[in-house]
Amino acid sequence: MLFLEEKILEFARLLRKGGVNVSVTQVIAAIQAAAAVGLAKEDFYTALLSTLIVDQMDQPLFDKLFRLYFFSLESSVFEKHTDHNEQETDGATAALQLVDSIEGTGMGRGAGATPYLLLVKAVRETNYPLLRKLGKMGIESLGDLEQGAVAEIDKLVDQAKVAIGWYQAVNTLEKIRVQEKVSEIRYCKWLDCLSFLEKYMESLLEDLLVRKFGSMILEEIALAANIREKEFFRLDQLEIQEIRKQITKMARKLASRYARRYRRAKHGKIDLRRTIKNAMINGGTPIRLKYRRRVISKPELVLLCDVSGSVAVFSEFMLQLVYTIQNRFSHIRSFLFVNTVDEVTEYFTNNSIEEALDKAFAKARYAMSPFSDYGRVFRQFEKEYLPTFSSQSTLIILGDARNNYRHDERDSLQRIGEQVRKILWFNPQPQEEWNTEDSIIGIYAPYCRQVFECRNLKQLEEVTEAIL
Amino acid sequence: MFQSREELEKKLAEHHYLIDRNVATVVYLAVKLQKPLLVEGPAGVGKTELAKALAAATGSRLIRLQCYEGLDEAKALYEWNYQKQLLCLQLKQNQNKSWHEAKDDIFTREFLLRRPILDALESTEPVVLLIDEVDKSDEEFESFLLEILSDYQITIPELGTIKAKSVPLTVLTSNNFRDFGDALKRRCVHLYLDYPTFERELEIIKLKVPGINQLLSQQLVSFVQLLRKQNIKKPPSIAETIDWARSLLTLSVSRIDADIVQSTLSILLKYQSDIDQILPRIPSLLPED
Repeated sequence: MLFLEEKILEFARLLRKGGVNVSVTQVIAAIQAAAAVGLAKEDFYTALLSTLIVDQMDQPLFDKLFRLYFFSLESSVFEKHTDHNEQETDGATAALQLVDSIEGTGMGRGAGATPYLLLVKAVRETNYPLLRKLGKMGIESLGDLEQGAVAEIDKLVDQAKVAIGWYQAVNTLEKIRVQEKVSEIRYCKWLDCLSFLEKYMESLLEDLLVRKFGSMILEEIALAANIREKEFFRLDQLEIQEIRKQITKMARKLASRYARRYRRAKHGKIDLRRTIKNAMINGGTPIRLKYRRRVISKPELVLLCDVSGSVAVFSEFMLQLVYTIQNRFSHIRSFLFVNTVDEVTEYFTNNSIEEALDKAFAKARYAMSPFSDYGRVFRQFEKEYLPTFSSQSTLIILGDARNNYRHDERDSLQRIGEQVRKILWFNPQPQEEWNTEDSIIGIYAPYCRQVFECRNLKQLEEVTEAIL
Repeated sequence: MFQSREELEKKLAEHHYLIDRNVATVVYLAVKLQKPLLVEGPAGVGKTELAKALAAATGSRLIRLQCYEGLDEAKALYEWNYQKQLLCLQLKQNQNKSWHEAKDDIFTREFLLRRPILDALESTEPVVLLIDEVDKSDEEFESFLLEILSDYQITIPELGTIKAKSVPLTVLTSNNFRDFGDALKRRCVHLYLDYPTFERELEIIKLKVPGINQLLSQQLVSFVQLLRKQNIKKPPSIAETIDWARSLLTLSVSRIDADIVQSTLSILLKYQSDIDQILPRIPSLLPED
């Protein structure tokens, strides 16, 4: 059993690398659970999943690492390698025969072996063995892989896709869909096929790498998959979706904490007048005490968001977070800028947050060129909007302070700082890159109460908890 | 309670609750390791039902605690009945008792109001404790749950620590409305219940709506399954599939077509915007023969 315990411990360590918080209690529970259900693959998986993973968001990573660690790595707990492979070969031979037969009969358009037509055919028939075969072809086309390949898995999968004519096939399928009026049921199945193939190729590639280079690679894969600590600008579309969900949950957590404090605050000073008045009901005995209500000050918040290139995603997250908990503030005003600034507060008043963000980004005039110009923006901001802020407002600036070597206009920022209660600066750029190249955060920092590094979800959570 | 996973599966099935192998494994683990079971998943997949079925299958009493914002220990754990204490003191006013005697008199179990959790711990018969929608409660309340869920005991300052007579099978459910504390989550065994697969949902329909014909049940389940893949606010839950199946049976429909779906769509979709979005697309969403 010791062997298994070690394996589970090491696996837990790997999960931690991937940003999943696994406590010792959980590992103990996992070991007990594994002992209770036995080593059948499926049960073992369920046992570990139900004890080690507390957040649904971590499940994809768990699945991936579980597969790679317990099946791909040579030193496997299971003796499953062989029959796993057998199954695969069975499927493959079937597919091979299929390919043969297709090549034999032709596709009607006279292009038997062209992969993209095969792909179209496989999808239309929802033929999974053939899809697998194609996936393998794609990955094989990549040739010999270097150890560094692990950093560019996405890119390599894309290359493999091109090799089997993925984009042509998708195009053709779309055309067929329109021409033949394909029903949505069938179209959904097609999409399932395509996403299956994509995942399959990715897992094939990871498998290959892990088998070739061993556990080192596994750690790198874990690290790369950690979206909590992944820089905002490196997130892909799927991860952005995931983080949006996380932010909504995070915001509710913050909001409920606030609600509790507010309730708590009611239990402060005793309101003698109301207590005595109430005691009359009980013949003068004050059975229930009445407390004086306390009003909690709600700060006024002003968000000034850089939305140029790599910073845009971060600004979007922050806006989403702040507007989800807007009852926490008496008033929120938001501004977008690249090299000119525009107020977008109104979009958030009567729209859902997603709609508001779409509209704000589509309609506001915040850029006359794609290069951010902080100096110009501060000057304009001071002139046009500063007089309308109360001295109680908190100004939060979101941006990387990369000024494209233009005038910094620090005097403007200083005057802004004197007018508002405080300025906080959230910088999504990694701290080690601050004040290099055209970053001038060091020049602006003295006028801010605090400058935070805020490059990933984890830091965003920490920072918002600290300021609220 | 259960000797094996198979037994658990069978017993739950006897009480009309069908579960997959992996779900059975997790539930079995929770029972075996004596840890609370935290069930998460979208609304209407049978999270609460699971607890009810467990209670029925084990022949235990179900104690249910519905969480909501503002729920505190006085309503969940215990409370001193202080009106009664006050009365008692007034009666004894003339007996010239010392402070200690008086204190011992009024802080006894007689004056303790048992709320669901204390009730579950003190119960002599086996119980299933269902703490429903934990995510609706406050963070503060989570902390109260910690002691109970890890050691199955409550400490009452005036009385001492009350240990559970027998460990109750505890089920917590959450809709993922907000993220709750890691400390609480770590003490539990996790179960994520998702919408059932086509085959499973078909079985459920056959079980819950006896007398429905094969073709109709297949058609309606595949339509519902497809609806869930659409980008809508509130995908139909299992309960809604069952309702729909019952209504179709009552209307003596033998197979579904665009008209019948149109007129009964409001059973499946509860938001007007969802209905507006799906209504024009019904023909293309209908299962093919």
